[in-house]
Amino acid sequence: MKSLYDLINRDLKIAFFTSSNFLFTGSFYILVVVLIPFIFGSDSEQLRVIFKGIIWISISLSILLTLERIFYSDYEDGSLDLILQRYNSLEIIICAKFIAHWIINCLPLIVILPFLSLLFQLSFSDIFPILINLVIGSTGMVFVATFVSALTLGAKRTIFLKGIILIPLLVPFIIFGVDPHSWPILIALSMMSFVISIYASSYGLRLYGE
Amino acid sequence: MKKLSINELKCFRGESLVLKGISAEINEGETYLIKGSNGSGKTTLLRVLSSLIKNYNGTILFDDKDIKDDLKFFQKFSFIGQKNALKENLSVSKNLKLWEILFGKKIDVNSLLQKYNLNTVIDKDISSLSDGQKKCLSLLKLKLCSVPIWYLDEPFVFLDSKNRSILVNEIESHNQSGGIAIITTNTELDYKSDGEIIL
Repeated sequence: MKSLYDLINRDLKIAFFTSSNFLFTGSFYILVVVLIPFIFGSDSEQLRVIFKGIIWISISLSILLTLERIFYSDYEDGSLDLILQRYNSLEIIICAKFIAHWIINCLPLIVILPFLSLLFQLSFSDIFPILINLVIGSTGMVFVATFVSALTLGAKRTIFLKGIILIPLLVPFIIFGVDPHSWPILIALSMMSFVISIYASSYGLRLYGE
Repeated sequence: MKKLSINELKCFRGESLVLKGISAEINEGETYLIKGSNGSGKTTLLRVLSSLIKNYNGTILFDDKDIKDDLKFFQKFSFIGQKNALKENLSVSKNLKLWEILFGKKIDVNSLLQKYNLNTVIDKDISSLSDGQKKCLSLLKLKLCSVPIWYLDEPFVFLDSKNRSILVNEIESHNQSGGIAIITTNTELDYKSDGEIIL
């Protein structure tokens, strides 16, 4: 457990020290969501319908933009060798990356969502199921992003290629995420993604070492 | 006596046989150089010896234990690669805070940086340092844990003559306390080793 805590702490410290990068992702998400009411006008019914879709698209794009920070940045500067050397368990390294990445890139967006929903004239009872779905679905999306990041470690900065691989895998989360009654399916998808991610990410990290 | 025994080591990278049956015995207190031209497999050999590469044939024994079976082997060596494990957009002091987490100990920053006369750069971003300064910082990782084996990949690159002397003294001290050092190089070094592996 101490190893897991140390690795999460390290990633959180890096995010805190490089707060400009971290603020960029949050700003991108807020900007996308804030601009939509200006485009579609003040028809509250129309805004309620498109809000859920916009939230899921925004969080998918935020996860895509931060994909490099999961493993690639550590690989690029040699920190990944140091981490693999100091921590013998690939599973602990991967779980720490999941958790840290979710805390840094998804949790802040979930926290500000109720405030953004005011622009779309949504009440708390409208927002609550969206929040639940977002917590579950974003977790699954981060699992998927983690194994895409680990499996594409050898590829140099090709965010376009990684995006082509990642975005189709996020589509099931988006489809079920917009339906407030689909949270059991989202839980199943997230759990499946977790198991696949542990195996696939371990494989990717072993291939990197080879 | 703790020794590192390498027996008929073979390793493929892709479809090429990079390590072709390497054998060596390195006793405690010895330093071995791994020599070879570019692309001959020096870094691959170090990565195999440090368990970063696990797909190989042959055996590597340390203290009569196969490193593949020794779950605690990762606590017995320090690997200093050609990349420095430093975040370019952070300062020296912030990078050392990250190393405190990875090494699980509080670092006396001033005393550590004093080793290679780096106290004046403590608040500078890594990106503003010279390659030699970055290499010196990377080598400071050797002071953060007491381990019997040092794997050093091209450690003398970018170092000036003064810092080379400091590193040579460090390696000699490590040998005197029974440690093993394995160093890769593709240039002639003014350093007397106990043996060589030529690739």
